[in-house]
Amino acid sequence: MKPRIILGLLMAVLILLPTLIFAQETKLGGEFWGRFTNETAKYKDANGKYVDKTSKNYFALDRGYLDLRTKFSESTSARFTVDIFSTDATYEYLQYSSTDQAMPIDSLSSSTKKSSVDGAGLKLKYAFVDFANLLPVPDMTLSAGLQKVYFGTIYDWDYTLIGKDPVDEYKLANSADYGLSLNGFLPQGYGEYALGIYNGEGYKKFGSNLKENTEFAYLGNIRFTPIAGVTLGGSYMVNTVEAEKALSGDTINKKYEEQNLMAGVLRLAYGPVDFWAEYLSKDVTFPNESSTSKDYTATGLMLMPIVKLKDYVGYDVQVIGRLDQWDESDNASNKNYLTAITGGLNYNFLHDESFVPKMQLQLNYTTKQYDEKKSAASFADGVKDTSTLMLQLKWRFSSTIK
Amino acid sequence: MKKYIALITLLLVCLAAFAQKGGQITSSGSTTVLPIAQAAAEAFMDKNPGINISVRGGGSGVGIAALQNGTVDIALSSRPMKSKEISACKSKGINPVAYAVANDGIAIVVHKNNPISNLTVNQIRDIYTGKIKNWNQLGGANLPIVIISRDVASGTFEVFNEKALKGAKVDGTAQMLASNNAIVTTVTSTPGAIGYVGLGYVTKEINVIPVENIIPSEATVKAGTYKLSRKLYMYTNGTAKGNSYRFIGFLQGADGQKIVKSQGFISLD
Repeated sequence: MKPRIILGLLMAVLILLPTLIFAQETKLGGEFWGRFTNETAKYKDANGKYVDKTSKNYFALDRGYLDLRTKFSESTSARFTVDIFSTDATYEYLQYSSTDQAMPIDSLSSSTKKSSVDGAGLKLKYAFVDFANLLPVPDMTLSAGLQKVYFGTIYDWDYTLIGKDPVDEYKLANSADYGLSLNGFLPQGYGEYALGIYNGEGYKKFGSNLKENTEFAYLGNIRFTPIAGVTLGGSYMVNTVEAEKALSGDTINKKYEEQNLMAGVLRLAYGPVDFWAEYLSKDVTFPNESSTSKDYTATGLMLMPIVKLKDYVGYDVQVIGRLDQWDESDNASNKNYLTAITGGLNYNFLHDESFVPKMQLQLNYTTKQYDEKKSAASFADGVKDTSTLMLQLKWRFSSTIK
Repeated sequence: MKKYIALITLLLVCLAAFAQKGGQITSSGSTTVLPIAQAAAEAFMDKNPGINISVRGGGSGVGIAALQNGTVDIALSSRPMKSKEISACKSKGINPVAYAVANDGIAIVVHKNNPISNLTVNQIRDIYTGKIKNWNQLGGANLPIVIISRDVASGTFEVFNEKALKGAKVDGTAQMLASNNAIVTTVTSTPGAIGYVGLGYVTKEINVIPVENIIPSEATVKAGTYKLSRKLYMYTNGTAKGNSYRFIGFLQGADGQKIVKSQGFISLD
């Protein structure tokens, strides 16, 4: 047996055994997304002219979660979730190399590479422990470990549409990261809050992909619900990318960037209508650059109305619309202004006793268009515009195993 | 042009018609409140033939989640809602309003042949956390204690945990059962068993043990001298209206409170 498999098995046993022995209650849950994707994009034909071609046409298990939730006592619980996916998608990673064999760290440079995920992948999504009542503040929890990042809508995004949350989509923050957070609820249901300190790199990076990790990301989040159906929220996070200086020799790293990230959230819910709006701001500076030409601010806006039709058609059907505008035209290295429109239809079925659907069939159609005038020349003539049709079946289960 | 299509799509989605539900009342939740709700629903429907009330169990958490999802008119709960649940409801446009419908005491029950005549709250906690393992440590027979508890999703468990266990972890040997009836059945057939149930579930086949020398009764529960007292609730979205208002009003009124007593629970007045 390969050492990595043995190590994996050993880790699983080390995590699962104490969980099962000491738990007051343990729930095993899962969620799987089987998806058909058909995307049309612009590609050159034999004459060098851009024409619409089918760029993606495939079935895949785009996401799968296996989730172990353990309650050790009324005040201590834990969650362990792995993210399983099987797709032919590619992902990007940073590859590091050095030219000076004697002092490799001083000559370290990185480049972005693309790699194919062959068949299947596995990521650790959550592994955290919640300690309630640790501090004398009602309804406050200290979470420690690989946990949710309480920024904007990313931490309670339930994929009513197939697409990602805007914070995730436009790469402001990751949905999970390693760290500590104090999170809780305001009295009388007036809302929730979170303060967090994270690595700042998210849960997807590992090993050599990690930066020299000496600076944390700091986060504050508040959601306020003054009256039922009206929620206002705001998040602020400061983060850095890469190391400011090489650890040895204090060589300045010009790729070091500071990020000020903000999100404003509005949610209006009344009867069958649930309306979400989110405003995003990403302010990036490169303090080690001699000029400020690389500094930029990107902003985004999402509007998403959801309407439940169950009371009118008898079936648990939802109609969803989404309009995104992402303005990164201030970024000299990736100048673009995107408008994305999605229309969606959900059919929820096989509900549990609380009317939470165990299965959901989703149909989405998304068009993405880049504004020619506000985007770089490489976006001209709609060459990077796409339209995507997705049909997805999600199924969930949850069972108390102890 | 595509921007206009997007705007029209958004408007169409937003302009979906609003409609009122029909004359049916749906409720679900606490298995403790269940017999009160069922008996009250039968009496109310007898007096109001045009109204149909459906009542289901599942546990307080299930009822509250159903109210949150907008799929029941009334959630039955044997505990107050938590801030987390209220917050989740309010953000979805659901404004939970609590109506107390009965008083209850969580009765500590043992097998009918068990001679134990009193337990303190600390002793109960020590039993449920596994520190006391045999009845002879409490002056009883040389008999291992069999711990019977409700599952952790139960409202009764949460109140018991708060008032008796003070948040301590239930011993790993405990049997976690899904209903009051299951507790009664198991304690009835297990000589060393100890369990806890809402007063309405107490039968002659089991012994109710005084806590701190106080037996759960109408007087001690209403006065709050019985340590494991609580109220039972019905929650609606906003102030109850229409048939829900009439049904809850009926249950809180004189006829409804007679039903509460007939089910073994304690009236509000």
